Amino acid sequence: MINLVQNVVDGISVGSLYALTALGIGLIFGVMRLINVAHGELITAMGYTMLLFASQSVVVAMIGGMIAVVLLALVTERVAFRPLRSADPATLLVASFAVSFFLQKSIALVIGYRPKGINILPSLGQQVVVFGVRLQLLKMATIAVVAVMLILLTWFLKRTRFGLEMRAAAENFRMAQLLGIRGNRVIAMAFALSAILAAAVAVLFISQSGFLTPRMGLQLVVIAFVGTVIGGLGSLVGAAAGGFFVGATTVFLQAVLPPDLRQLREAFVYLVVILVLLLRPQGLFPASGLKERV
Amino acid sequence: MTAQSSGNATATMGNPTPLLAVSDLQIKYGSITALRGLSIHVGGGEIVAVVGPNGAGKSSLLCAIAGVVPSAKGAITFLGKPLIGLSPEDILRRGIAMVPEGRHIFGSMTVDENLRLGATVRTDRGAIAKDIEELLETFPILRERRKQPAGRLSGGEQQQLAIARALLCKPRLLMLDEPSLGLAPIVIDQVYQILTMLRQRGMTILLIEQNATRALNTADRTYVLSAGSLRLSGTKTELLNNRDFDAAYFGVAEAETRVLP
Repeated sequence: MINLVQNVVDGISVGSLYALTALGIGLIFGVMRLINVAHGELITAMGYTMLLFASQSVVVAMIGGMIAVVLLALVTERVAFRPLRSADPATLLVASFAVSFFLQKSIALVIGYRPKGINILPSLGQQVVVFGVRLQLLKMATIAVVAVMLILLTWFLKRTRFGLEMRAAAENFRMAQLLGIRGNRVIAMAFALSAILAAAVAVLFISQSGFLTPRMGLQLVVIAFVGTVIGGLGSLVGAAAGGFFVGATTVFLQAVLPPDLRQLREAFVYLVVILVLLLRPQGLFPASGLKERV
Repeated sequence: MTAQSSGNATATMGNPTPLLAVSDLQIKYGSITALRGLSIHVGGGEIVAVVGPNGAGKSSLLCAIAGVVPSAKGAITFLGKPLIGLSPEDILRRGIAMVPEGRHIFGSMTVDENLRLGATVRTDRGAIAKDIEELLETFPILRERRKQPAGRLSGGEQQQLAIARALLCKPRLLMLDEPSLGLAPIVIDQVYQILTMLRQRGMTILLIEQNATRALNTADRTYVLSAGSLRLSGTKTELLNNRDFDAAYFGVAEAETRVLP
């Protein structure tokens, strides 16, 4: 029983981390139909920037990192993606791979591939006892932070003028422009938002793993991207749900698979992914903008 | 063979500088020519219709005015200032709103959100709520459905929403691309009643139609387009008395849209 509660908490915390990553990808896909693989390097860059500021306080490291990552996202949009705005999705995807590799190799060139240890929030490593169950504080904090981020993002998208414009642009970019919504501004805003989400993911993920590598972001993004596909490309609810589903499934399999097979748990995760896509090729929560209209 | 029955129709308006003037507009999509040097003008307070068969270049004309055809060549001036090269966002800010073919309402968003998006460019925040209230008086069905996702509206309701949304930016010129497309005849009547009412309130309207009967009956002047060129132009009476009209339009159009005298 105690084990079950621990596994559930574990599953929720890993799932919510992937949900947040998938949301960052989903936001960009929504406004410009770009699958931004370089989202991973925003996460990685956040990690290394915090390492740079590590001698300062954690708060300075987080704020400094977040500003740096938002700027990096805006620069990649301006330099790499804006000129390709009207290109087809395949071109955009290749461009995002190029940006991703460029950033990844740049980090490797300057700092090297060897993992760097980092311990940003040591106090979260301790265990707490909740109703007689020992739980790691970090896992609870992860769930709480993601919940707060989801509420803030929902508020932004539903209640603010910029959020309204962003949803309109995601549903029908050309029509949004015909209403005077500035396409460039909406896309820049989506990149900035996705960078803030990436920064949050980085803080939570690094607190968990305790080290940095140039490839860490890409690994997260590939799995989160699978989540967005399962959830239904183009739908933010779908992205969050799909990301959560993939993350939670991983933890669940880790818990229930016999020890010999645990090494292969990713194979089982993708088996589940294939089954979901066979049964619901449009994803669990298809984008409402793609519904037929009379 | 471009017989123009009434080249100086502006005389009826007594307005030397039209609100919108398009001259020698040429549009090519790759090797396909959509418009071959078209010139039209719209005076303040007029309803002007552009009719013609499918593929005549009508939609290309509206899209070029709205700024979504980057390859357009020629001159488009609005209030005396050139529009070509401006982005759709800037053209809307100059005072031209478009209701595109197919309406393009935001289906996952509520009717209310769709309306608020129509007022994106306005800075007089306080007056927007009042204007939305006024429009809901004009379009009562939208008030009933205010909190519902716009995608659940019927075609006619969506058309009303699309027009109301376009009006919320307080345009000087309202452009509509095939507002009757896909709607039942009784609903088309409603849409055209709305256009007539808007004209009474002083709105200038540029309308594109395949349904020539409706367009001729509503518009002050009509341009007949075919294969990217202007064939005829004039008032309803002028066009119906013109022998070339049937040839220009019905020679290629479907019989069911025949004009009743």
